[in-house]
Amino acid sequence: MAYKNADDMIFGTAVHPVKAELGLQVGAGYVTAEVNYAPRPEAGVSKEKLVSEYRKLTTDIMARAVQIGFPAVSLETEHVEQMTNNPTWGGEIAHVQKTILEEYHEEYGIKCGLRHTPGDIREDRDLLALIGKKYDTLMESFEAVAEGGADFLSIETMGGKEVFDYAVLRNDVPGMIYSIGCLGGMDMEMIWTDIAKIAQKKNRVPAGDTDCAQANTAMFVGGGLLDKNLAHTLAILARVIAGSRTLVGYEAGAKGPGKDCGYENTIIKAITGCPIAQEGKSATCAHADVMGNLTMQVCDLWSNESVEYHGEFGGTSVQCWSQTLNMDAALMNTSIQTGNAKMLRDLMCLSDKYRDPQGYILAYDNAFKVGQAIVKDGNDLYLRAKNAVVETIKILEASKKEGKLLMSRFEQNALADAKASIDALTNEKDTFMSDSLAKYKAEVKVFRPEANYKW
Amino acid sequence: MDIDPSKILVRYNVQKEKAQSPDQMAAEMFPKAEPARTIAKAIYEGEEDDVIEGLEKAIGKGADAIKLIDDVLMPGMKIVTDLYDQGVIFLPNVMMAADAMLEGIEYCKESSGSAPKPKGVVVCHVAEGDVHDIGKTIVAALLRADGYKVVDLGRDVPVDEVIAAVKKESPMMLTGTALMTTTMYAFKEINDRLLEAGIKVPFQCGGGAVNQDFVASYQLGIYGEEAADAPKMANAILAGKGLAQLKDMFHKH
Repeated sequence: MAYKNADDMIFGTAVHPVKAELGLQVGAGYVTAEVNYAPRPEAGVSKEKLVSEYRKLTTDIMARAVQIGFPAVSLETEHVEQMTNNPTWGGEIAHVQKTILEEYHEEYGIKCGLRHTPGDIREDRDLLALIGKKYDTLMESFEAVAEGGADFLSIETMGGKEVFDYAVLRNDVPGMIYSIGCLGGMDMEMIWTDIAKIAQKKNRVPAGDTDCAQANTAMFVGGGLLDKNLAHTLAILARVIAGSRTLVGYEAGAKGPGKDCGYENTIIKAITGCPIAQEGKSATCAHADVMGNLTMQVCDLWSNESVEYHGEFGGTSVQCWSQTLNMDAALMNTSIQTGNAKMLRDLMCLSDKYRDPQGYILAYDNAFKVGQAIVKDGNDLYLRAKNAVVETIKILEASKKEGKLLMSRFEQNALADAKASIDALTNEKDTFMSDSLAKYKAEVKVFRPEANYKW
Repeated sequence: MDIDPSKILVRYNVQKEKAQSPDQMAAEMFPKAEPARTIAKAIYEGEEDDVIEGLEKAIGKGADAIKLIDDVLMPGMKIVTDLYDQGVIFLPNVMMAADAMLEGIEYCKESSGSAPKPKGVVVCHVAEGDVHDIGKTIVAALLRADGYKVVDLGRDVPVDEVIAAVKKESPMMLTGTALMTTTMYAFKEINDRLLEAGIKVPFQCGGGAVNQDFVASYQLGIYGEEAADAPKMANAILAGKGLAQLKDMFHKH
């Protein structure tokens, strides 16, 4: 654990801050907005149109930042598939964006960062194709965006998703451990080792991953309080397993800032001390979640997840949302300067902590305990994911005494079923792996373990 | 520092929970007669082996395998989807029940050597360039559970392939899902190509980045906000609703 106590964790400061090229530091004592965006649907038809779209939206964001007087801003470009499949496209867009940031930095001194997140293109229609030609193209994309000027390199990898999608729709918690914790972890080790090498070669920062493909799928399938698609007690189990899985990226060389939609990032920061991006109340342009304030608690970059580029009454969408993010960051930075940061952290945390089981576990005090459970068997991908689940169930069960986190009968039943399935699991990784391999090879027709994972 | 959360948030799901448990409600809905009761219970519980065992016994006693599909398996599944629509049970229960029911249907088909007539054919796909297919998987499962034949084209499906499948299958409905703003643009192209070919099939579109405004911008498009809207829309089409009426029903915003 990078921190001795959960209370030592705070927004804006990380044990191991990172630097971007144009003056921005992340985790070095202040919080910065990280603006995310998506091009309009029709912009994807040609390279010229895409480049033009990113040129316009980058200029819009920077213009608004200096108009309102913000000292720093970071941008994240999540690739549309054309940009990754054609590495020169992504590279050119990174270059165009970085050039605009440089101009603003030079003229106004504003501190800037640029993250590029190539899409995980490693698929062949209905099948994952994690190793092979697509992998090579993906690495070329990382090279190109690093060359183009992206400071932070990220990705949202999909390892294990073919089994996870099957398991999550069947309340199968051991299947979630296998898919996210084991298969996802194996893929992460392979890909992050290579991303870190590229970053080192190009003098960029290998930033971090997110289990968007799996834990966020569980969170979104879970939906709101009244949705009936997945118990939130199971969604949080997927999330804590993702804590173990996303950690692999850092073990393989990532340094942060972790990706915004990695809601597992509080756990990651507790273990690694690396800075993290997070999203919440100022990402409602992209999705609804049940912990909009809580996720600010220990963030270093504060993101809006994504917004389609278009006009709003208050300017373009990227201007409106970047202003909201920057205002949030200004409030957090004010609390840091006035010595009230821990007070603000706790207010933000408490306003969501009891809203549902996900917020309860991701509250920094409980997330810290999950982190401790993961590192207890840190060298065993299976056991550390299982530990995270066991600890989470323990914390949720113990919460009943306190009576502040109310859980529906359905959530409690799902939790009890999860506990029963976990209690029945072996402590031997090899046994679990071979049993799971046989089970999911038989049940999931798109699962091709030999082709996709380095065993 | 800690708080009394009851002053700042409401757990409406806990407040609204029905007095009866899902199992109790389901038990009241199961048919009284055997073997329908045992098989319906096995479907509800997602127990494939018990479904097959029940069917085996029934067929052994002379029941018509294809009739069992219509009279026992489909009504048993309807109990599950009704409970889901009422917010009593959750999606994984429906998925596991659907797995069990579909195994039962396969068993009946093998036993009789013939196939039941589906309510209709629906072609499902995920937009070209998009690999996010869990939404489509749910849509396809819910449609199958409601008695439709699903032609699942998978994910990242080129426009040409969608058009060819519609021409070949003549479906009553086409579905498209997408997570990304740039991939959903393919829906508009599909719409235009279908119209060029003189095909006016309702095209239900939904998924992460897809919104009603976008879908309403092309003639055949009908926005599906939730996966559960898919069988409802198919049933509305069976009941004779046209494109304008479907848009009225499903465009809620």
